[in-house]
Amino acid sequence: MAGLLSRERIVAKPGFNRWLVPPAALAIHLSIGMAYGFSVFWLPLNRAIGITAPVPCPEHTSFLELLIARDCDWKISTLGWMFTLFFVFLGSSAAVFGRWVERVGPRKTGVVSAICWSSGFLISALGVYLHQIWLLWLGSGVIGGCGLGLGYISPVGTLIKWFPDRRGMATGMAIMGFGGGAMIGAPLADILMRHFATPTSVGVWQTFVAMGVIYFIAMMAGAFGYRVPPADWKPAGWTPRAQQTSMITTGNVHVSQAWRTPQFWFLWMVLCMNVSAGIGVIGIASPMIQEIFGGRLIGVLGTLQALTPEQKAQLASIGAGFAALLSLFNIAGRIGWASLSDYLGRKRTYFIFFALGFLLYSMAPFAGRTGSVTLFVVIFCIILTMYGGGFATIPAYLADIFGTQYVGAIHGRLLTAWSTAGVLGPVLVNYIREYQIGHGVPNAQAYNVTMYVLAGLLVIGLICNLLVRPVDQRYWMTAEDLATARAVQAGQRA
Amino acid sequence: MAKNDASEGPAGSSWAMVVLAWLPVTLPLLWGIWQTVKKAAVLFR
Repeated sequence: MAGLLSRERIVAKPGFNRWLVPPAALAIHLSIGMAYGFSVFWLPLNRAIGITAPVPCPEHTSFLELLIARDCDWKISTLGWMFTLFFVFLGSSAAVFGRWVERVGPRKTGVVSAICWSSGFLISALGVYLHQIWLLWLGSGVIGGCGLGLGYISPVGTLIKWFPDRRGMATGMAIMGFGGGAMIGAPLADILMRHFATPTSVGVWQTFVAMGVIYFIAMMAGAFGYRVPPADWKPAGWTPRAQQTSMITTGNVHVSQAWRTPQFWFLWMVLCMNVSAGIGVIGIASPMIQEIFGGRLIGVLGTLQALTPEQKAQLASIGAGFAALLSLFNIAGRIGWASLSDYLGRKRTYFIFFALGFLLYSMAPFAGRTGSVTLFVVIFCIILTMYGGGFATIPAYLADIFGTQYVGAIHGRLLTAWSTAGVLGPVLVNYIREYQIGHGVPNAQAYNVTMYVLAGLLVIGLICNLLVRPVDQRYWMTAEDLATARAVQAGQRA
Repeated sequence: MAKNDASEGPAGSSWAMVVLAWLPVTLPLLWGIWQTVKKAAVLFR
């Protein structure tokens, strides 16, 4: 008898409505998308011992002592390591477990992802309760990070098979959820922390427990909502366009072959360059607008440094508003560009990302020099749509180039580009800024070179995208291999 | 092998299920977007 979680158990029956699958994917992506919102915990955790103000650790405390110190507060930079762990383990787990995901199907993957992500919250709650930072890193960072990777790729192959006519839109819907998760999770966490806070507790461990339970329920509902289409299923009245365009393959490339093709590495660079540029901007959005425009943001003259504490507070809230606005455009780009790519074609869509992105990054210093806040904001809003669009369109691009059979696993391996970009983008941006300031460049102009370097990254991406051609047929799976793979997936003996 | 293709579109009643399935994800997402819009509105004051 087929197991409750097995792939063959969730093959859709005739008459199943494919529009039931995207909400299942969204339930999982909206939950794991909270990874982006974890910074909401940093300030309360920064005073978890002191409650009203942080209690700093003694000056010469070693790294190992910091890991187990119970009588002083964690620095925000120490807590921030969680982000690095998230994205490193997201990419690694997606790459390592991609083939397993294809074999066992989306339901089992979704369940494992739910267990990892929510148990990460529970272990972190214990870490906060016992005041042990290593438990937070292990819980949310490592175990939760694996849940992120599995959850992220769990619906990709399934959605592409359900929506062969609108691959971009289908994966765009799910990946939009990853971008939107923090929009729900961060304010929810804020509400919960205020609810649980007492004179002796900042309310974080209780919030972790509550969110772990909420996310477990939501993700399990999503995992049990997944259905896979029968082999060779196609939507009513739809005829494949494959013969009309060489950029949509009629073959399938095995995951173990895909990474040996130049196309895989060109697409790896395409994703890496697009994400590096965007992620670099996201990290500095708030301080950047404050430093570039200073008092002009509130109608007074003077640089950021010359303002009063009250004026600086006003600027900080404008900076936070700018970051929030960018996150809205980020999720709009995910669904918008991915859907548009179904009509434009994937290669052309990425051409627009890189060509238009190059122009916009190059124009940003001009907007800063002329003092046009509106132009500056518009530039970065458009850039962020293309950052989100890059994430959401890549699974459909992979399906077009490598076929749908192993697209989830191939996408998993490609996500190592995201992990790389997660380190490359912020390091590049921060290093260039520090270098500029160290060489006497005023803070307001310290971002100019950064923007030109990010524009340069997009040129590399543009070239790699132009080099993407259909995969040579010698890499395609044979009809027998494909039949065997499908039989294995269907739980039959080949 | 039986193909579930053009002749087998979704049953009419399944669209009610679709609405029910989308509500639990759409409502929190709209709430989250609204919270973000409120935060972003500071930029335009």
